[in-house]
Amino acid sequence: MSEQISALLDNEIDDEITAHIIKAIATNQQAAEAWSQYHLIGDAMRGNVVLSRQFKQNLMHKIDKEATVLAPNAALVSQIATIKHRSKVPAVWSIAASFAAVMVVGWMVLNQQTQSGHDLAPVEVALAVTSKTPAIDQGIPEEYLNAHQASAPSASSYYIQNASYKE
Amino acid sequence: MKPFVMARLFAVATLGLTLATSLNVQANADDDMWQVLQKTAVAAHALSYQGIFYYEAGSQVKPVQITHFFNGKDEFARNVVLDNSPREVFSQGSDLVIFSPKNEKIIIEKRHGQNMFPAILPTNLDSIKQSYTLRAGEPDRIAGRTAQMLFLEPKDSLRYSYRFWIDTEYGLLLKSVMLNGNNEIIESIAFNQLALIDTLNLDWFHPKIDNKKSYVMEDETATIADKGASTSWTLKELPSGFRKVDQMTRMVHGKTLPVTHVIFSDGLAAVSLFIEPITKNIKPRVGHKLVGGTSFYANVSDGYQVTVVGEVPEITVAKIANAVVFKK
Repeated sequence: MSEQISALLDNEIDDEITAHIIKAIATNQQAAEAWSQYHLIGDAMRGNVVLSRQFKQNLMHKIDKEATVLAPNAALVSQIATIKHRSKVPAVWSIAASFAAVMVVGWMVLNQQTQSGHDLAPVEVALAVTSKTPAIDQGIPEEYLNAHQASAPSASSYYIQNASYKE
Repeated sequence: MKPFVMARLFAVATLGLTLATSLNVQANADDDMWQVLQKTAVAAHALSYQGIFYYEAGSQVKPVQITHFFNGKDEFARNVVLDNSPREVFSQGSDLVIFSPKNEKIIIEKRHGQNMFPAILPTNLDSIKQSYTLRAGEPDRIAGRTAQMLFLEPKDSLRYSYRFWIDTEYGLLLKSVMLNGNNEIIESIAFNQLALIDTLNLDWFHPKIDNKKSYVMEDETATIADKGASTSWTLKELPSGFRKVDQMTRMVHGKTLPVTHVIFSDGLAAVSLFIEPITKNIKPRVGHKLVGGTSFYANVSDGYQVTVVGEVPEITVAKIANAVVFKK
């Protein structure tokens, strides 16, 4: 069923079967989940993200930032505020010493860049993570190797550059 | 005659006793070695240490700086690959965040449950005991520490063998070497400097931010957990010792449809299986390849592309690919 749903999304299915699949999506919960997941994947691949996954965190973080701006500098333009926040980063690091802190630092950096106009669509990330696909005779196809290294429990992959597999 | 019979009986009894004792000693020695390995598996998580180790595979050599901290409850670690574009890997427990520079960007990736050096052994060694035997080697010195060497050898040709150098005092893994069936070294990881640390300070636990680069979060929607109930395929007999440990649906670069990704492990070696329907814009791939210690196998079955990748001999990836049966 999932294959048929994804084929339907890709417009690769006959009209008669389409009606049947749509009915299945309406009645079968698993099919409905697959339908919405595939749409989510499709949206993410095309970069049409309606609400970012970090929407809540970003919002909460922005609210936190608003609170800090109660200082005398409150009237300064956002550009200067951004520079101020950058200079405060090390203080935040030493206080929030936990894994969450590592992620917060990530979000702060992402936020700063969003403010400075570098809003990045997810599709750019996908392209940056994986690069060109070599044929088998040139090496192990990188897309599978990357996926294996990203999820396999034994991972020395962090130490090697995937480029070595192109030889 | 009687004394002679007695003597013979005595001799037989003694021999029997000696045999039993030596077998017992052997069994105890085996138990002791597994105990050492068990201590090693735990030490990597339970000790606080800092050092530099070298990762070597083929012509690649990468120095990595590690800081690992355990406060009795939580585990924190930072690995920094010390090369031209330093990659930083942070972990708390089994959650990982990686900051890796790619051209003008720094990609932030999230991972879960990976066993990184020196924590490469599972704390439950049962699955390893099933597929490997353990043998003691000569004492040695690694990173200025006294080490006990252990050979972990496969019971069959479906996996590689390992040599471990273990700190005799703390039980920490100091060096690990993976060898293929021809006893050629495929991968080697060894401490060059190592010290235990005694601190509660976590000031080091943050990424080094480069203000000149843009930071981007890896697309998290790329993988979706999969309960594993597939209607289109099943797995028949897997290569001995390998068990399915995970399954997910993921987007793979260059593919329009999501790919099913199943992960197998024998406790040490990991293998990935990918299954995807062949659509009109996918060119089917068939073949096999061995690069370093990584084997690759691809075939086409009933309109599906089946691809297997793992740090195992080629026969193992082929066996896993052939264990996939499609329902008609």
